[in-house]
Amino acid sequence: MLGFLRSTILSKIVMTVSGAAIVGFLIAHLTGNLLIFGGPEKINAYGQGLRDLGLLLLFLRIGLVVTFVLHIVTSIYLADKNRTARPVSYTKKKSIQSTIASRTMFFSGLTILTFVVYHLLHFTYGIVQPEFYHGEYILHDGRTVPDIYSMMIHGFQNPFIVITYLLAVTFVCLHLSHAIGSAFQTLGINHTKYNGIIKKAGMGLATILWLGYMSIPFGIMAGVLKLTNGGH
Amino acid sequence: MKLVLKIWRQQNGNSEGKIVDYMLDDVSPDMSFLEMLDVLNEKLIAKNEEPVAFDHDCREGICGACSLIINGVPHGPEKATTTCQLHMRKFNDGEEIVIEPWRASAFPVIKDLVVDRSSFDRIIQKGGFITANTGNAQDGNTLPISKIDADASMDAAACIGCGACVAACKNGSASLFVAAKLSHLGLLPQGQPERGSRVLAMVMQMDEEGFGSCTNTYDCEAACPKEISVKNIARMNRDFFKASLFGV
Ligand code: HEM
Ligand code: FES
Repeated sequence: MLGFLRSTILSKIVMTVSGAAIVGFLIAHLTGNLLIFGGPEKINAYGQGLRDLGLLLLFLRIGLVVTFVLHIVTSIYLADKNRTARPVSYTKKKSIQSTIASRTMFFSGLTILTFVVYHLLHFTYGIVQPEFYHGEYILHDGRTVPDIYSMMIHGFQNPFIVITYLLAVTFVCLHLSHAIGSAFQTLGINHTKYNGIIKKAGMGLATILWLGYMSIPFGIMAGVLKLTNGGH
Repeated sequence: MKLVLKIWRQQNGNSEGKIVDYMLDDVSPDMSFLEMLDVLNEKLIAKNEEPVAFDHDCREGICGACSLIINGVPHGPEKATTTCQLHMRKFNDGEEIVIEPWRASAFPVIKDLVVDRSSFDRIIQKGGFITANTGNAQDGNTLPISKIDADASMDAAACIGCGACVAACKNGSASLFVAAKLSHLGLLPQGQPERGSRVLAMVMQMDEEGFGSCTNTYDCEAACPKEISVKNIARMNRDFFKASLFGV
């Protein structure tokens, strides 16, 4: 049984299941973030709601970290095996029908990883822009909570930060444009009847995530989202 | 036609190889690619030089012996065609053609363009067989097989085991080859008794030989002279998963 666990096919299934879980997180995370368009009350109450989960939030975070680690460790194991499978490279080599996204999964993955670290330092730990991290907001129910709304607005008024996020989100979507179709193949789902739909759905989801995530920095740059009196 | 050939020359598995340039005149567009190499070798022999070693056998596209990465593509530019069936009319006068061997750690170079593909044989030995009744041969018509399965099995059986899939894959993965052999036997009633044990044994051997893993880029399918579909890889994944989880 241990042998099977080391096999490339089961490794790929680990990649797929962990990847799919992260896609689930991306969708949930986006849905939460989009509350910013509902104004400071909505997004700040949502943030507090998450914090109020307490122990459950801790477990969710641990689960997410474990998922990421599984995905990354497996990808390193496979990438190393794949590299050693061709010790001498070709003088001239053409790709015939593979896409750029499919050939650069490890690179796009590493870019995402770098970004995730940066993103946590930015919005979760407030190390990148500490000046915007300690704002407070008073909810309708009277509770004083961290002001996520103005933190995001301030953050994305800096064009360099917007460019970083633009690049990162683009790499996530590049990764996903291959990953979603690929995940079905790995799980053994490949049927002429459904392949068209799977491919379109994969591209569609990648596009929706890109538009969704980028709508926030773009909205802030365009002035659609701006500071309100509620924030300090 | 005149050609500039850039050919990988390597004395043996232990020596360093390099690309060597050869000018070849008077190539007929009606020659096959291998006949063109024969002409080159005649000239080399006449000059007392070592001819270029390359694999070939049937020269009619059915045995899987011929190979060669031609200008970066396994079996050259023509789709669904082996190197032996490729003709020089597919090239232009004066063209530069780079010719290299399959490159994979599981396919070590023996000499020049010849590689050792016995790793494929060892994979086949692990599961490329069925259980058959002894005694008189059974009447084939008594075994009902659906047309769909028979067709899919026959399509997979078209694999000639040349290794172009490995050569094309950026990971040097043998998934398309192994999957074709598994579908070939696993879709037929005769192949059922070993269906589970076969997929486990052949996949484990594939990994052991040092082939890479499949990242679903599908260059293998495009390079395959027999147009084996990557659907077979999905079937292999499915069968492997089932057999690992629920036993054989
Ligand atoms: C937003 C975060 C990420 C998501 C949603 C995600 C999702 C996925 C999914 C669904 C797959 C498909 C698995 C398959 O081909 O069957 C995949 C493949 C892959 N991921 Fe990620 N991933 C993410 C981050 C990363 C990171 C940080 C790395 C680190 C290097 C990485 C490296 C890879 C590689 C190399 C593959 C290809 C594996 C293969 O095809 O064999 N990914 N990813
Ligand atoms: S020599 Fe037999 S297939 Fe090309």
